[in-house]
Amino acid sequence: MDELERIREEIDLDRRRFVKKVLGGVIGGSLLLVLPAGAVKVAQQISGLAAGTDPVDPDRKFAFVIDITGCIGCGYCCVADKNEFQVPDGYYRTWVERYVIDDQDNVHVDAPRGGLDGYATARLDIPHPVRDTFFVPKLCNMCEKPSCVQVCPVGATFRTADGFVLIDRQRCLGCSYCVQACPYSVRFIGPESRVAEKCTWCYHRLAQGLRPACVEACPVQARKFGDLNDRESEVYRLLHEPNVISVLKPEMGNEPSLHYLGLRREVV
Amino acid sequence: MQPDFKSSTHLHVIRLALTIAGVLVAGILLRQALLPAGYGTSGRYRPGAELDEANRTVRNLANDACLACHPLIRKLHLAGTHATVSCEICHGPGVDHVQDGKLAGAMPTVAGDVIGPVCLRCHGQVARLRPLDSIRMVSASDHLTGHRVRADNDCDQCHHVHAPMKWVREAREMVGLAAEPEGGRPWTN
Repeated sequence: MDELERIREEIDLDRRRFVKKVLGGVIGGSLLLVLPAGAVKVAQQISGLAAGTDPVDPDRKFAFVIDITGCIGCGYCCVADKNEFQVPDGYYRTWVERYVIDDQDNVHVDAPRGGLDGYATARLDIPHPVRDTFFVPKLCNMCEKPSCVQVCPVGATFRTADGFVLIDRQRCLGCSYCVQACPYSVRFIGPESRVAEKCTWCYHRLAQGLRPACVEACPVQARKFGDLNDRESEVYRLLHEPNVISVLKPEMGNEPSLHYLGLRREVV
Repeated sequence: MQPDFKSSTHLHVIRLALTIAGVLVAGILLRQALLPAGYGTSGRYRPGAELDEANRTVRNLANDACLACHPLIRKLHLAGTHATVSCEICHGPGVDHVQDGKLAGAMPTVAGDVIGPVCLRCHGQVARLRPLDSIRMVSASDHLTGHRVRADNDCDQCHHVHAPMKWVREAREMVGLAAEPEGGRPWTN
């Protein structure tokens, strides 16, 4: 008797399971018909670049422009960069420096955690009244005459025909000559990879037609990226109109492709 | 009389030539052994090195990709003043959410009592820290008392995170209050 009861229960359970599965299948199937299926389509943000094409295009001349007057120091560019490259803690491919100038014209610079946490509080350690504060995001300058490429003994760091200074991670020995040679201190030796690493202006995103991750993340468009050979691009307009444009450490002769809009004397 | 230095066999010349030739051959062989195949064909680097870099995984998928699957949020987000704000700065990189067209994991949302610091990273007005003509800056406590709301209110109790002024505007319309003057009021409070 008990045995019979148990079998009946088992059958009931099976029936329930069966109905559940059929219902789930029907609902799921009809949803599939309604919802657009397939992989997430990556939308093109930079005209003419598509996935799968050879990324090196000598007809393009990319430039990066950072608007110092626009940066609010939220640090979300640094967060996006850390997410994009899974940068280990304590190392920065891009960072945001805070400049505070007091009324005695002393310049105080700091960048706690590279700006990853933003700048939510004012500096309290400055004895004089503050005259001015601004933020300076830093990243690879993509020099036209890169000193890092010059010093590499094995040809592991190189400049492509379209102006990107990249690192061949297979060939790099980790000798860190380039880390010392870079006037802008953008390079580091990865603690796990043991090879030189630095900002690439998101070369891999560009190959998919996407803008660099930090440009994408900036809520106030203080970071701008584009092709100088494209006369419609914002960077072309900015660099060819009467704007205060400067590069960092011009006396080094590296000829950076990273330009700053409204850069201050205290930074150059 | 001068001694005769002339060698009849030219052995010293041959020895020198052999040494130079040997060093040259060894140099060429060593260079070939050390350089990667095809080095120098597309620049002073291993051909394909730039492709290795280009093939890195894109982890931040950008707003268009996110909003393609979230039409309701798309409508809200693009209509509001936060239209330029990246989805992934609050919700994390899209690659943790979708992989090969399949759901890979849930994305974190920021709401309630943890939202304040996230909002104030951009909107927090700290003494002379940010350009005032950029976006609206508020000092959190002054903003709350200025609007006569409880001091422990969370930002998202009045502001929808995707369209910050939506509820405020709707509330104003509902009670018949005039809209704010163009450009807002001085955001000192």
